[in-house]
Amino acid sequence: MNVELTNLSRHFGRTRAVDGVSLRAGTGVFGLLGPNGAGKTSLLRMMATVLPPSAGKLELLGRDPRRYGPRREIRRRLGYLPQNLGYYPGFTVYDFVEYFALLKELPPRRVPGAVAAAIEQVGLGDRAKARLRTLSGGMLRRVGIAQAIVNDPDLLLLDEPTAGLDPEQRMAFRALLRDLGQRSTVVVSTHLVEDVGAACTEVALMDAGKIVFQGTPDALAAAGEGTGAAGDAPLERGYSAVLASARSGTPAGWGPPRPVAEEPRA
Amino acid sequence: MTAATQAPARPAPRPARRSAALAAWRLLRIELRRSPMPLILPLIAALFWFDSYRPSASTPPMWVYRTFWNMGQGHAIIDFGPLVAGTAAWIGSRDGRRGTADLVTAAPRPRWPAQLASWAAAAAWAVGAYLVFVCVMFAVYAGQGVIGTPPWWWVAAGAAAVLAFSAAGFAVGAYWPSRFASPLAAFGAFLAMVMSSQIGFSHASGWALILPTNSNGNFQPDSGMLYPWLPDLPIARIMLLAGIALAVTGLLGLPAASGGAGLRRMAAVLTIAGLAAAGTAVGLAETARLGPHGMVIPALHDAASDRPYSYAPVCSHSAGIPVCLSPDYRSELAGVSAALAPVVSEVAGLPGAPVRAAQAAATYTSGEGQAGQPMTIAGQPPALRMPLGALGLPGAFGWTTSQAADQVRLLFAHAFVGAGNGAGTPAQQAVQAALLQGAGVPFSLQPEVLSLTGLPGWARASVRGQSARGPGPAAGPVYAAARRLAALPADARHAWLAGHLAALRSGRLSLGRLP
Amino acid sequence: MTATGLQSPPAGAAPARHPARPAGLARLAWLHAVSRRVPVALGLLAAFGVLLWAALYWRWNIAGGQAARMFIPLTVEAGPAAVISVTSYGPFREPERAAGRWLPWLRLTMTVLLIAAAAGALAAGAAGGRLAGGSLALLRNLAGFTGIGLLTATALGGAFGWAGPMAYLLVTEVALQGHPTTPWVWAGRPAADRGAAICACLVLAAGLAAITLRGPREALRE
Repeated sequence: MNVELTNLSRHFGRTRAVDGVSLRAGTGVFGLLGPNGAGKTSLLRMMATVLPPSAGKLELLGRDPRRYGPRREIRRRLGYLPQNLGYYPGFTVYDFVEYFALLKELPPRRVPGAVAAAIEQVGLGDRAKARLRTLSGGMLRRVGIAQAIVNDPDLLLLDEPTAGLDPEQRMAFRALLRDLGQRSTVVVSTHLVEDVGAACTEVALMDAGKIVFQGTPDALAAAGEGTGAAGDAPLERGYSAVLASARSGTPAGWGPPRPVAEEPRA
Repeated sequence: MTAATQAPARPAPRPARRSAALAAWRLLRIELRRSPMPLILPLIAALFWFDSYRPSASTPPMWVYRTFWNMGQGHAIIDFGPLVAGTAAWIGSRDGRRGTADLVTAAPRPRWPAQLASWAAAAAWAVGAYLVFVCVMFAVYAGQGVIGTPPWWWVAAGAAAVLAFSAAGFAVGAYWPSRFASPLAAFGAFLAMVMSSQIGFSHASGWALILPTNSNGNFQPDSGMLYPWLPDLPIARIMLLAGIALAVTGLLGLPAASGGAGLRRMAAVLTIAGLAAAGTAVGLAETARLGPHGMVIPALHDAASDRPYSYAPVCSHSAGIPVCLSPDYRSELAGVSAALAPVVSEVAGLPGAPVRAAQAAATYTSGEGQAGQPMTIAGQPPALRMPLGALGLPGAFGWTTSQAADQVRLLFAHAFVGAGNGAGTPAQQAVQAALLQGAGVPFSLQPEVLSLTGLPGWARASVRGQSARGPGPAAGPVYAAARRLAALPADARHAWLAGHLAALRSGRLSLGRLP
Repeated sequence: MTATGLQSPPAGAAPARHPARPAGLARLAWLHAVSRRVPVALGLLAAFGVLLWAALYWRWNIAGGQAARMFIPLTVEAGPAAVISVTSYGPFREPERAAGRWLPWLRLTMTVLLIAAAAGALAAGAAGGRLAGGSLALLRNLAGFTGIGLLTATALGGAFGWAGPMAYLLVTEVALQGHPTTPWVWAGRPAADRGAAICACLVLAAGLAAITLRGPREALRE
């Protein structure tokens, strides 16, 4: 398992942004769905080791990030795209990705090749020398993805990665995710259920800091059948149904989050 | 969980041997290419031309005069420091302003080395620009035939100052990524320089000598011409400024987010080392004393710096006696000869009259400082020794040609009558005045000549009736006696002087015994 | 989200104009001020007043002649101008520019208020001390420095607005040692000198006009 969270919590004052979350994830693409303020970004930031948990246990890539040495090792094998991507307008695309490749302690001799490959993978090969201030929002997002994957991470955390991407780019991105998921753990936090359906092998739905559903996209879609929940597609209906159930406290047609100790059925 | 998510994680790759130096160079290269510091350089260049070069252009063509304002009084530092500090603060606040803190934090490379790369690039641009601007200015001077040798140690001290300002500004921005960091860093740097100037002007000794704009005792006119530039004080200043830069960059590494325990210990050591260096420099400055050729710090002094440059003098005979100067003062030879000639004519053939005049290196005592050195007549046969480096030269600090000539005549006459380093007895003053009258400095102008700024202290003290409006008239018993002596026919005056010079010089001649 | 409660105007009707209410304007001004960190700026301006008081009270060593006595107070007078110039830009960029007609007035109002606050702080700091030229010269110098800062913000970007006052401060301090006669070095002229006051006020007016009508330029690089 690359990710093991056990009763993980994070408070900001009296607000419990993440409240007793447990999950485990190995290789594959893991989707994180939820409404605004559900705690997805806080959860992702804890997994990115930029936000310490208030309580609970967090193990990433088999290491405890509370200690400096293991945390540094985790970060070498981590890729992270935050929701609000900051950037240096004067840098070019190549500069920016190279900068983070170096910060990630990629061996210097590998850096040029890795940077070029990452830029190509996100379809910005012809804009490598363009200054970031000249790029559109979608292109900037792709630059962010490039810096996240430049070190071929074992754990890739993407917060709203498709924001600003056009449909064609989104399809290409989903294919990239599926490819990355063959060899890494990819955790994608998104509002777009269709991204989850197209790329994720497992999905968790968060609400008010808790995980209210965990399972496959098909299972999520099935949870909405026959409930009359709002939505234009099965996944959306499943999403709405699960949220409604969680908020009303009466689960309908689906199972509660499995505790960590329970072994998955084959 | 599906089987896909339960597949075992990839084994961690064996860590490759990291070439830390290559990675550091790559980081630095990116920062150098993209640093905003070059944006401010055109404005600094304009200020440098206005403040450092332009005021020097009208000074005599000697390195010591050309660089007194921009190097000695630190105006080159003032041109760079505040703007560099403000821009460095902008650069230091980058991650806070741009919202990249999370991205940088999530990277394994500790924050401190990444910040150092950013600062190093900014400092490289700033210091590089300073050196380029100074070298261009020096090249212009060289093309104008400026004589002597450049004060390279002071250039190095200026570079260290720019480095320190860039570090301090960067730290302000890094710790306070606010829009106000830049203006406050620039303002703080400017205030520090202004305070340095104000304190420096009034402190000719002690710790204040370490201040970057304190020129007291540092720019002796013979430096770089008859004697080497003394490196003692510039070395101490470099130590202070480098220590400040070191301490400030170490401070950046102290917060917990900057790196691991080992790295932060290193940062703490750097901070302490920097503070120690700066403190040591201040202590060394406290021990500085004004030596014969500049500020000497005993712990740093190298005796080789005291050895004069050897040279073949250039001479003129137009004054009636050979007048020989250092070749660096070649441009002054005609003027000095012309100034000496009438006094030579007045005293020719009299006991103790010099048979030659030669330039001597100025020597400094704690009382006199660097200006107002007397001429002396010594040796057998007697020779007039002229510390030209300590005299006002035409074009330097407002001295006109006629003022410079009158100064030479006054000091020659003063030496001839044996008044030494004081105002002299009334009889000596009277004879001096009469000689000057004969040499073309009328009595009415003599109080003004004696009041010239830059002459030895006895000159102004001997002027009666000094007020805010200027010196009093040439009146009183001294000038009355002088007028009587000057009114004698030349032969009679010459004969009287021949018979009374010994008594005059020994101070035994009273005013009443003048004809 | 539903459309319930939204009322559509009848077809062809002109859009209704809603005159801004004073409370709304005040709230808008406050939010604009907060976005520019004006409260922090006010604190800094007060600190400059204290600094001026300290410089005059303890007579920070002033060596040299008449010009030298002005150096430190002049430096302190340039500080507020640098701070005011960097409050000219905000974080919102295009959405704010496209939002409506109030932005220029907000910029003008904030700037004038900050100048008044700076003048008050410095005047309070100078009260009782022997400031060369008195309060009249202080106001004139502040006006001129601030005008330069605003013009610099318009040309180079709000973030670099401070560079103008600092550069002009250096030029002034050099010029003062040469006994300047031009009124464009207003700090070198007596407090009652009309030409210097006119020059300083012209520069301030130009700066205010530029920042009001054009606003600060977007930053050149980062």
